[in-house]
Amino acid sequence: MTCEDLQDVFELYSLALLEGEEKSEVEAHLARGCETCQKRLKDALAVNAVILASVPQTAPAARLRRRVLAGFGVERPGWGWLGAFAAALMLVVTLWLSVQERRRENELADARREAIQVGAERDRLIQAFQILNQPETKRVNFGEGLPQPPRGNIFVHSKLGVLLIASNLPALPAGRTYEMWVIPTATSVPRPAGLFQANAQGSAINLLPGPFDSLYAVAVSVEPEAGSPAPTTTPIVIAPVPVA
Amino acid sequence: MRKLLPAVLAFAILQATLRFKDDSGLARRLRARDPHVMPALYDRYGRAAYSLIFRVVRDAGVAEDLVQETFLRVWNRAQSFDAERGALGPWILAVARNRAIDHLRSVEGRMAAGALELDRIENPALFSNFEDRALTIDRARRLKHAFTKLTPAQKEVIELAYYEGLSQTEMAVRLKQPLGTVKTWVRTALKVLREQLSEAVVA
Repeated sequence: MTCEDLQDVFELYSLALLEGEEKSEVEAHLARGCETCQKRLKDALAVNAVILASVPQTAPAARLRRRVLAGFGVERPGWGWLGAFAAALMLVVTLWLSVQERRRENELADARREAIQVGAERDRLIQAFQILNQPETKRVNFGEGLPQPPRGNIFVHSKLGVLLIASNLPALPAGRTYEMWVIPTATSVPRPAGLFQANAQGSAINLLPGPFDSLYAVAVSVEPEAGSPAPTTTPIVIAPVPVA
Repeated sequence: MRKLLPAVLAFAILQATLRFKDDSGLARRLRARDPHVMPALYDRYGRAAYSLIFRVVRDAGVAEDLVQETFLRVWNRAQSFDAERGALGPWILAVARNRAIDHLRSVEGRMAAGALELDRIENPALFSNFEDRALTIDRARRLKHAFTKLTPAQKEVIELAYYEGLSQTEMAVRLKQPLGTVKTWVRTALKVLREQLSEAVVA
């Protein structure tokens, strides 16, 4: 075959699609360095390149770049978004756990505090019952028959202590507290006998453990939150303790 | 016009130089087996290679495997590539197309032109002394225009050749047409495309 016979087959040849006699003819021409055919081969490869480049362009997934480059050791095979997601998830879980841990610690501390309070309350009640149970305990009633000032009873036992059970206590403004006072017969100077708050119903219990010398009276006044060494307001309760 | 001409020429030369320099730099590092050239090479030709392979195999997962194979092959055969006067783009596209066709053939169980044949026609030495303007936007536009001049049958045989790797004999069987008819379609179609593209180079 002449070069002219072969002029239209170089595209197929360079796609590896040429068959039979045409293919062997092209190979023979190229093998003997036929310049026309060499030129046509280059042109055909250029035509093929344009056609192959003309397909609709689709962006490959980003992971493909990492995968291809990882094969050449120029980029570590990363975990991509999955890794980032896992790391973010781990961070969130860690934060959540530490928040939970903190909350649990707080809860535990609260519970411990509560247990101590309950224990103290129970001890106080046991003491209160002991005072109430003793035949030698003296009972003083105050505020009988009046809605205000408060009413209640004071139980005095010289060894076990003084127990105050009051109701109708007025609600206090913020930063104020009730303070109980015991006034010894010997000095007549009020001695601090404990701070207490009334509950929502205006009731309160306060206990001052004994022993002490004979008392002249028990009083209650309203004081600043931290308490006072001596009454700063007029007492709302003054209950004289019977001598006998 | 006389004043404008030197400026236009200078610009064209600059463009050609830049492009030439660009790819020859890549090719030189590729030949020197510098793996750090691969990111740049992938960034320039990865998308085109993937698009072409995807067009052939129609499966993203398979296409990804074949793109990886393509770049590995380019890396392994780059030593016989002509760094100064070779055409990297056309070569990579040829390698990509051949990987895709090879896959298609093995899936369809037809091995008419074997892997050896594909191997031979992607020899990098074939892509030296190449027209630097092989892959330009202008040529792409010309090609698009040229395709409008083809009949549906001519378009079909072109697609079967480039994207399915069918020989003319296989096309005749597939299209239930005499071999002579298929050959005429193929020749006429290629002639139209070739002429339209070379017009672009002349223009």
